[in-house]
Amino acid sequence: MISVRGVRKAFGAATVLDGIDLDVHSGEVVSILGSSGSGKSTLIRCMNGLEKLDAGCITIDDFDVSRPKELTEARKRSATVFQLFNLYPHMTAVQNIALAPVEVLKIPPKQAEADARALLESVGLSARADAFPSQLSGGQRQRVGICRALAMKPRYLLLDEITSALDPEMTSDVLAILAKLASDGTTMVFVTHEIEFARTISSRVVFLDKGQLVVDLPTAEFFAADGGMAKPRIAQFLSKMRKD
Amino acid sequence: MRYTSFTSYDIVLLAQGLGVSLALFLATTIIGLLLGSLWAVIRFYRVPVLTQIVTVFAELLKNSPVLVQLFLVFFGLPAFAKLNVTPVEAAVITLSGNTAAFVYVIAVSAIESIGRDQIEAARVFGLSRWQVLRHIIAPQAMAFAIGPLTGLLVNQLQVTSLISVIGVVDLTKIGNILNLRTLKPFVVWAMVGALYYVMAKLIAYGGATLEKRLRAHTAWKGL
Ligand SMILES: Nc1ncnc2c1ncn2[C@@H]1O[C@H](COP(=O)(O)OP(=O)(O)OP(=O)(O)O)[C@@H](O)[C@H]1O
Ligand SMILES: [Mg+2]
Repeated sequence: MISVRGVRKAFGAATVLDGIDLDVHSGEVVSILGSSGSGKSTLIRCMNGLEKLDAGCITIDDFDVSRPKELTEARKRSATVFQLFNLYPHMTAVQNIALAPVEVLKIPPKQAEADARALLESVGLSARADAFPSQLSGGQRQRVGICRALAMKPRYLLLDEITSALDPEMTSDVLAILAKLASDGTTMVFVTHEIEFARTISSRVVFLDKGQLVVDLPTAEFFAADGGMAKPRIAQFLSKMRKD
Repeated sequence: MRYTSFTSYDIVLLAQGLGVSLALFLATTIIGLLLGSLWAVIRFYRVPVLTQIVTVFAELLKNSPVLVQLFLVFFGLPAFAKLNVTPVEAAVITLSGNTAAFVYVIAVSAIESIGRDQIEAARVFGLSRWQVLRHIIAPQAMAFAIGPLTGLLVNQLQVTSLISVIGVVDLTKIGNILNLRTLKPFVVWAMVGALYYVMAKLIAYGGATLEKRLRAHTAWKGL
């Protein structure tokens, strides 16, 4: 379980997360919605230990990400896919995927490489396994990014707007992979602007507004006229997103 | 045979001088590369106190003439700290320090050229700082730095000729000796110059070969 309790984060005078509470249980797919600047990425960065919390606590399977000794364990259980891929440019697709399994999970290199190739095959990229990131399209890079996360066999996947840098066609490729992961029961926390997609794959939707988690509802209720939609802020947000 | 004519023994002398110059160059290059990279890593991790010391030290070394540094070590250290240094020791200390200062500058900018986002990604996947340094930072920084480093080393090779003034019998010193004996400055210095030239070209060639290999992932075929 990922548990976020009373998390506060400020950059200088600006409070970006203002007392966030959120639980993500095994098997859940939680979508995080919210307008630009509401703190979604910052929340993800707090979960994977990239930002220091100003208050509160985040644990992943009871490992506290604020404690350096426990952070490594927490990170072994969760894996992140980034908006801008963040691949290692000097390594091929296979090497990108196999690095952490070899170095962190101590899987033998041969085995890790075979696993990486199998993962690439599963996302339709076996032909590009030995290409460098600079030789791949955006959609292909993001698929490598997803494989890199899956290679860690994580219990939790953290995904931050992983399709926002992709064109619609590539987006649907990547979303198809996520839909498959969701139906396989992968636990995901996933920040997105793809409202319709969030609606189809997530079990819960949370809505961030100015650093506060204002709604946390099962998906059906969130989109119901008398549920989340009854809140003007959310109705306004959704109608704006649908127009774009 | 006249006293001033060249003998076959002169070739041995030149070879000896060449050997001394090369050995000094190689030794100070290795020490300089290690020290300079270490300083850059200290700065990258913002190690308290050490970062400030390294920055000031590198500043001093970069901005003063090597010859002055050499005199400071060779004449200054014995007078100040009662430490006796041989000419070779003084040469090794001075040239290593000088190379290190410039390696530091190159390494710092090489490390800074690496996108923060990949380093974050590697950390998030659980790699330790050391593993990030070894697998993400070092290979890319090396690919970035190899060009400027080759230029630096070609230059540092020429700088080794300064140490002849404190009595190290390097290639330049041998040139001096041969010149005084044969009184044929043009022939002697042209020969010595050609030897430096060949060494410099070898360094440049080695650097270019390495660069090609390190930069495979950014192979740029031109427009
Ligand atoms: N390192 C930082 N230093 C200062 N301010 C920051 C930093 N990172 C984020 N912020 C600020 O925090 C706020 C929330 O940023 P965040 O990236 O979490 O928003 P977001 O909800 O992910 O937005 P988007 O949908 O545009 O990605 C923004 O106002 C942003 O300017
Ligand atoms: Mg964001």
